[in-house]
This record gives sequence, C-alpha cells and structure tokens, in this order.
Amino acid sequence: MTTEDLVQKVGLEPLSRFEPRGVNGVFVSDMLSDVMANAKSGNLWLTVQTHKSIVPAANLVDVAAIIITGGKQVGSETVELASKYNIAILSTQLPTFELIGKLYKLGLGTS
Amino acid sequence: MSGCQHQWEMANVQFGFVVFEKCSHCNGLRTYFCVEDRPILGDKYREGHCFWARVENAQSFRFDVRCARCGQLVKLDDLMGFLECTGCLPDCPVELLQAELEPTRTWILVAFGFLSKERTLPLEPFKVDVLTEYFNQRRDTTRSRIRIVSFDLIEDLSRCQGQFIHDVGMLSLEPPPERKPLF
Repeated sequence: MTTEDLVQKVGLEPLSRFEPRGVNGVFVSDMLSDVMANAKSGNLWLTVQTHKSIVPAANLVDVAAIIITGGKQVGSETVELASKYNIAILSTQLPTFELIGKLYKLGLGTS
Repeated sequence: MSGCQHQWEMANVQFGFVVFEKCSHCNGLRTYFCVEDRPILGDKYREGHCFWARVENAQSFRFDVRCARCGQLVKLDDLMGFLECTGCLPDCPVELLQAELEPTRTWILVAFGFLSKERTLPLEPFKVDVLTEYFNQRRDTTRSRIRIVSFDLIEDLSRCQGQFIHDVGMLSLEPPPERKPLF
C-alpha cells in the first residue's frame, strides 16, 4: 500500500507536496521523543501535533507520512517545510481512534 | 580498529526532561538531563555569584547505540538532542553545507551537547559519525539521507534561530503560542 492509495481509500487530504511511497505500518504518538525513539522507516505517524518541529522529527526517522487527525489546522510553515523534505502531511477530520480502525481494516498495524 | 560493518541499534533508551536554566547575574544558560516522571520546577537558587532559574523543561530522551553484530556500545549520554537548521544565517557553514547537499537529498541535523555555564560541551567527532550511520541505517537511503553535524559548525550560536526537536509544553493543557529560539 502507498501513501497515494491511502489518500484515495481513507479520504485523506494531502497538504504538502510529496512523492508517493510504500507504507508498512502505523505509529501513534504526540511526542517527538517517542517518534524519534520508536517509529520506523515507512510508518504512518498519526498525531494531533501541528508545530513545525514535527517535520524534522519525521524526517529523521523517515516516516512515510504524517497524518494530522481530528481536523487540526496545520500552519503554512509546517506544510512548506514538509514539502521541502518531500514528507507527506495528510489531514483528516476523523479522530485518531476512528482513523486507526480504518487503517487496521486496510491491513495496516504496527510494524 | 574493528573490522565489523556495524549495524547500529538504539540501546539504553531513557525518557526524561532536558532542563534549561538561565542565570540572571551572568546571563549564562545551562542544561542537563533528568530522569524524572515530572518536570523539575522550583525557585531560583544561588550558586556562587550566579542566580539560576529554570526557564524550560522539555520532555526528551537519551540513548546509546550498540552494534548488533559485534556488541560495541557507544555511550551518548553527552548528547542533548538535535537541532534543525532554519537557514537563519545565510553565511553559517551549516546552511552552506545544507545548500551543497540538498541536490542529493541529504538533510542535515545538528547534534548538540549539553550546555555548561561557560560553553557547549563538545561531542566527539566519532560519535557524530556513528549517529549519521545509525540514522541512515534506519531509513530508506534510496530516497534520502541524513547527515548529522556537530554544533561546532554553527557560525554564531548567539544568533542561531535553529529549532530543537524536543517536546515543549506537553504538560500543559494549553499549547504554547509559538516556539521561541533558545539563544
């Protein structure tokens, strides 16, 4: 499954510019330190954090996409930085729990 | 020298707080890591001529790396964290290196040691290289790469607007309005 597939199947809104890539699992956390310690390359990172520092943290561990849940607004600085690093920022109105259910049904889990 | 083609893994991960303190007398800034389950608050305190006050508690973590093949352990307890270059100083060697490496999709992060009153404590070049190896081994390097550099490369720390990658304000119910540079 790729980030592009997910956009179609789950109805996610792409905010940044990115090249599609494979997704291998899901990581849920709102703490950058947790992501840097435990997320894996190719994971989807689900969070409600929208500040700019999520982008270098995601880049450091090479996540496939950051998904901002709950309809949280993402600032243009965050989106521009993600586009620079070719990191997908996807947005959804769904709460984190509901999105996890949809992703699980699609066969994604922890990797 | 070891002939091992190291395969680094994170080891000895500890979550805690990086505590930032500022002196109202000498304007010095210092940091340390504490393994507590709650932030250190408290009053100002005196130490010699200095009056130290905590200005920030950032949730963070520290770790070592160990080679899965030969078992070599590289202690990183002197690593405070990573800073993202924001391109604030056009002549800064970090920004120049980023511009040079960007066409190859190599992204720079700056590794920081803890701050003492006098100066930032140096990180050994060997450890900086191991961090670069570790984070590249952890990613799909056909898409992009990471290059860790030491803070020594920053031209003027006092004017640096780089952003530390750590968790600020996570213990508050209200998000901070914006992140402020530390220097």
